[in-house]
Amino acid sequence: MGIIEKIKTNKSIDNQTEIQKICLNKLQSSPLPNPKSEQWRLSNKSKLSTLLDYSVNEKDLKLDITYPKNSQSTIRLVIGDNCQINLVEENYSINQLSEDKLVKYIKEQISCFDQNENWSDLLNLSLNSTKNTLGFKVSGSEIPPIEIFSHASSNSLNAKTLIIFLEKNCDIDLLQVNLGKDNSSLSQSTFLCLEENSSVNHGVVSYGENKSNLLNSLNVIQQKNSEYNLGSLHFKFNYARFEIRIKQSEGNARTNIKSMQITKKDEQISTYTKIEFNGPNGFLDQINKSLADDKSHAIFEGSIIVPKVAQRTDASQLSRNLLLSNFAQIDTKPQLEIIADDVKCKHGATISQLNEEELFYMRTRGITLTEASKLQLSSYFQEIISFIPVSKDRWDLLDKLLNEN
Amino acid sequence: MQSKMKESDPILEVENLSASTDNLPILKGVSLTVYPGEIHAIMGRNGCGKSTLSKIIAGHPSYNITNGDIKFLGENINSLEPEERSQSGIFLGFQYPIEIPGVSNLEFLRVSTNARRKFLNKEELDTFDFEELVKEKLEIVKMDHAFLSRSVNQGFSGGEKKRNEILQMALLEPKIAILDETDSGLDIDALRIVASGIKKISNAETGIILITHYQRLLDEIEPNYVHVMSDGQIIKTGESDLALELEKKGYEWTDNFIKET
Repeated sequence: MGIIEKIKTNKSIDNQTEIQKICLNKLQSSPLPNPKSEQWRLSNKSKLSTLLDYSVNEKDLKLDITYPKNSQSTIRLVIGDNCQINLVEENYSINQLSEDKLVKYIKEQISCFDQNENWSDLLNLSLNSTKNTLGFKVSGSEIPPIEIFSHASSNSLNAKTLIIFLEKNCDIDLLQVNLGKDNSSLSQSTFLCLEENSSVNHGVVSYGENKSNLLNSLNVIQQKNSEYNLGSLHFKFNYARFEIRIKQSEGNARTNIKSMQITKKDEQISTYTKIEFNGPNGFLDQINKSLADDKSHAIFEGSIIVPKVAQRTDASQLSRNLLLSNFAQIDTKPQLEIIADDVKCKHGATISQLNEEELFYMRTRGITLTEASKLQLSSYFQEIISFIPVSKDRWDLLDKLLNEN
Repeated sequence: MQSKMKESDPILEVENLSASTDNLPILKGVSLTVYPGEIHAIMGRNGCGKSTLSKIIAGHPSYNITNGDIKFLGENINSLEPEERSQSGIFLGFQYPIEIPGVSNLEFLRVSTNARRKFLNKEELDTFDFEELVKEKLEIVKMDHAFLSRSVNQGFSGGEKKRNEILQMALLEPKIAILDETDSGLDIDALRIVASGIKKISNAETGIILITHYQRLLDEIEPNYVHVMSDGQIIKTGESDLALELEKKGYEWTDNFIKET
């Protein structure tokens, strides 16, 4: 049974919403992404098909994952768990978006979707009624850090949608955690709107268990003088795809991205990014790291689009990759599309193995090969991890990674 | 050439050592014996095999020993891993110390020191005790405490990197230190600091091999023996005046020895 039929006939979805109908209609003509398109040509078809194989489930099973202890100052939300938020404090407020506003916003987004580029979002919105959608607006100052969890239950395909509006002059630290259980598929779509002078330190940490799959799509719109900092980490998925689309709608904004994906066994994890500058004086500093071991496959494709209106854009995109096995595969393609003539743009890619001279140096200081490799990996991870707004005491990601690798 | 140092057993014996990399012979029968308290200098043109000799003694995995032995404190170490050689007391000071971004110098030094201390059956040091020890050793090379919080050698000037090497030597207290062109890239003041550090660390129980091109380091640290290498062999051995003569006459002078050999 195809994915469309599966959604349409699914008993766990009580009534299809207007959004679901629109998206299903869009998917009807081509239910799967074009495997020859630039965005999907390297994607493992059989793994994608496995991701879609699980039964569509809107109703969450009880989440049996132990989260790190929450600190009192952090706001923690779990999407799908009858999640609601309405907070009005002295300096700030966080208000749940009404269903009307959510529908209006999503419909606007869908009208701009490209069938291949936004296939993950179309699937997400087809699968999801309003139960697994969380949307809120943040305003004010001195806002506590926000942690948002999404998860997929075993033997299920779950979809979660997150929409956040950040009002003018507002700063937040936002940590998004996507967790995959055994034999599960999670579709996560996130939409972030940053108004003028607002700033987000956004961490996206996604990790699975045995045979977990993930389609993770992130759409960000930045108004002028906003700053968006993204630190992301994806590991331990049979198949994971992280799509980042950022639009500086008027230029004059700053974007910093440090992302990393780690693959082992026969996993495939990919990151696709599209950064568009729709006005002058935009800034981007992006680094993506991949680490591939065993027979795994890591993919990075990044594009920076600088049209004529985006004069004096300053953009840099670097892909750094570490290949730990002769059987692992890394594909990387950082690219620039520049029409404006007064810009400073650079891109580059490196693929290397663990540096043997560094290892030898450490070994001549009595450090064993295993320890030296760990130190080297730790330094490789550190740059990304230190960029993720995470409390080190509660989320020791570096230890987690070093124990895994 | 006899010396009173030779009354004890040698620290290092390199016996007729030949080695290659990628099937290319680099060392062609090098022999060298270092006794406690001795300072040896190895000189020679670029590419003659000086640095390779030091790396092979330290256990670099890219080189294959095709003939001969390396003995340390009487034990053959041909098959020991680099870390085992270091832990047992062999120190290699790098010509180009490696930068390791993201690894704090302090943590790196602590892990190294504890690896050596563990071998010596000494108690391993926690961060606080190690800070005390390292503070004392920093004095030897006149390094600022701020260097410890930076990544290993990252952003260090040439002189700072060399001083960091000597700091490591001071912490590891090796039985033998092979210092590969420790004087290169140093100004006069830095050279004196480094040389003085080496002299403070070395004693009657330890041996030192200085690999250098220049007399200026040997003015600061007088060697007991000077060896001239050419094409993977030691072609002449003499006392400290051999270095002076070499400085005066240049390496062309040594070509005659090769012909005689």
